[in-house]
Amino acid sequence: MTAAPTTASRRREIDAQVGLVIFLGATAMLFAALLLAYAIVRSQAPSWPPAGVPPFPRGAAAANTLALVAASWALRRGAPRAALAFGAAFLTAQALLWRHLVAIHLGPSAGALGEVFFALSALHALHVLGGLVALTLTGVRRLRLLTIYWDFVLAVWVVVYVAVCLL
Amino acid sequence: MSDREEIASAEGQNGEQEEIPPAPTGFLRRYVFSIDHKVIGRQFLFLGLGFLAIGGLMAMLIRWQLARPGAPVPIVGKLLFGPSGGVISPVAYTALFTMHGTIMIFFAVTPILIGGFGNFCLPLLIGARDMAFPRLNMASFWTMFAATAILTASFFVPLGPPEAGWTAYATLSTTIGAPGPGQTLWVVAIYLNGASSVMGAVNYITTVLRMRAPGMTYLRMPLTVWGFFLTSILNALFVPVLAAAMVLLFFDRVLGTQFFIAGTTPGAGGDPILYQHLFWLFGHPEVYILILPAWGIVGDLLAFFARKPLFGYRVTVGALIAVVVLSTVVYGHHMFTTGMSPLLGESFMLLTMIISVPTSLIVFSWLGTLWRGAIRMATPMLFCLGMVFTFGVGGLTGLYLADITADIYLHDTYFVVGHFHLIMASALLMSLFAAVYFWFPKMFGRMMNEGLGKLHFWLTFVPLNLVFMGQLVIGYEGMQRRLYDPSVYDFLKPLLPLNRGISHAAYLLGAAQLIFVVNFFGSLARGARAAANPWEVGTLEWTVASPPPHHNFDQIPIVVRGPHELSHPAARALGRDWLGQAEVIETVPAPEPTAPTSTEPA
Repeated sequence: MTAAPTTASRRREIDAQVGLVIFLGATAMLFAALLLAYAIVRSQAPSWPPAGVPPFPRGAAAANTLALVAASWALRRGAPRAALAFGAAFLTAQALLWRHLVAIHLGPSAGALGEVFFALSALHALHVLGGLVALTLTGVRRLRLLTIYWDFVLAVWVVVYVAVCLL
Repeated sequence: MSDREEIASAEGQNGEQEEIPPAPTGFLRRYVFSIDHKVIGRQFLFLGLGFLAIGGLMAMLIRWQLARPGAPVPIVGKLLFGPSGGVISPVAYTALFTMHGTIMIFFAVTPILIGGFGNFCLPLLIGARDMAFPRLNMASFWTMFAATAILTASFFVPLGPPEAGWTAYATLSTTIGAPGPGQTLWVVAIYLNGASSVMGAVNYITTVLRMRAPGMTYLRMPLTVWGFFLTSILNALFVPVLAAAMVLLFFDRVLGTQFFIAGTTPGAGGDPILYQHLFWLFGHPEVYILILPAWGIVGDLLAFFARKPLFGYRVTVGALIAVVVLSTVVYGHHMFTTGMSPLLGESFMLLTMIISVPTSLIVFSWLGTLWRGAIRMATPMLFCLGMVFTFGVGGLTGLYLADITADIYLHDTYFVVGHFHLIMASALLMSLFAAVYFWFPKMFGRMMNEGLGKLHFWLTFVPLNLVFMGQLVIGYEGMQRRLYDPSVYDFLKPLLPLNRGISHAAYLLGAAQLIFVVNFFGSLARGARAAANPWEVGTLEWTVASPPPHHNFDQIPIVVRGPHELSHPAARALGRDWLGQAEVIETVPAPEPTAPTSTEPA
């Protein structure tokens, strides 16, 4: 029976991973529904991007992606503090991007492109924030789970960026 | 394989038993912030029953207005509707039916059935000590509690509670139709309610996948477990779609986006119908989210009280899975009148009608189970039989609404109200009461009063059918739902006596629930002590004491057979007609009665 604790903790670890994957499936449905709404908004618009809106600052949004990639990389290297810093940097950069968008009349109330980007990126930012809270609370103990979560958040951001900013 | 061989192989796989955590001692840890699934289940049950009473009282007020339009409400009128002299104003009426629907679906049935019985039953029925994530379970309850607090707060804000109906269609629910903060609070409450459901779903799915006792294969799980399991899968997949609708509605209301507002800014591309797509993409699976646990519970209970194995267990499980798959592709039948393309409409019509095939299989399994059974007419059984009847009628009226040509005439009439109340209010309420009467002894360690239970059944079943079948009739006569005062229309004037009759049946139905309240609290205080297995059935929760100890099972049981082994020939040797799921019997039938085996409670 000496092996029991390790087997039991291993089982708990798998339980947690199964639970996380189910949760991420649910979260994926949330973003899928938002992207569906985007698809419908876009298909009904007379032109896309809507007439008269300034070009979307793709470069700035792409640069923010690097912070998320860096956080993912830091988690893989077992450096949760660095990941925390990179994640916070991403949120700050997103906040600056939002301010810039409002300034150039691409804000949430300035038409379809702005509202779609704000809805998707705000919800995404909330999930990044959730990841940072989890990172602060659990630190190294749950590194494997946090890495899965972070990769998911990164993947969602890439899909959002490609769908809204590039296409 | 004999029982003994099976146990030997199961022990080989699962030799080690996890250590049992000690029971908490402080009051807060035991009863308030508990992580014990049994306590959380009871918390959900009480929360849901409380809101069931509030939602039910709202229905009484709605019926008062329909029976006597513009007459002041007796007794409570001055208190609730003081400024209008006790009369329900049109604004108050819209708020009433909005909150009635919201409360009943999201804050009564969901917490009672999924939160309450799901939590209490799942680990016990699969032979686990608790849920996979006990802390997440606690968070799920308190998130639901926060949602109820926010919803309640919406009554007390300027411009009053939301009035956009339980579906909150845009643009009734955007700032154009609902400028006050009440609707915003509603959106937040529904979002939190959904978050609670998703937390529960993650927990339930993981628990069923990972925590089943050795030998508890998928096809040995009680149907109740199947019901909660499949419901959780739908919850995890489709509640987030509702959350997406709530997020966009929230942004429309707070940040000034225009997802659901059409035509205000050129090129903005907002579309009220988009809201309906998102809402019903969730909303139709939601119907099955609520009914699947009910089907599971009724399937199990019919077998238990007919003293027979469930008729066609495997087919029923397959049918449940088929319903889950089909339920995701039928939502368009809620939107036939939105100008949907006829090709799309016909596809939804066909798919909706196909869903009646597996549903019929499930009903036939119930009827086949009853056929020539040695039926015990205990209170839970009465409610199950009532559920079979009301579900049958409710399901059949659904076929009319699935048909586009009929639906265009019946859409938004009381026929729809009658149809979904026969499912949501009657069939669900019946199975919910069946579950309460059945598991009350296990939950609280006392029996409920059978006489009061039977009286409660008959005084519920008869008026309930009068109310909702009456609604089918007035809907067929053309009365639209959500009308404040139908008597202002000449063609609806002749329906007033019928409306009055429905209302009287509704008052009787409401009053009959007092019997339940008296029985529930009376039995809680002074009911006869329940034995471990008062119903003489074989599922695992009945092998432990009533109420179960903190850790459920001293020794994790090893399951050797399915959940409905009633009228089993091998049991006759033991002098009874049922076998426990983890009960070991020798494969050679013993000629003389032998002593009950180790899984019998001491």
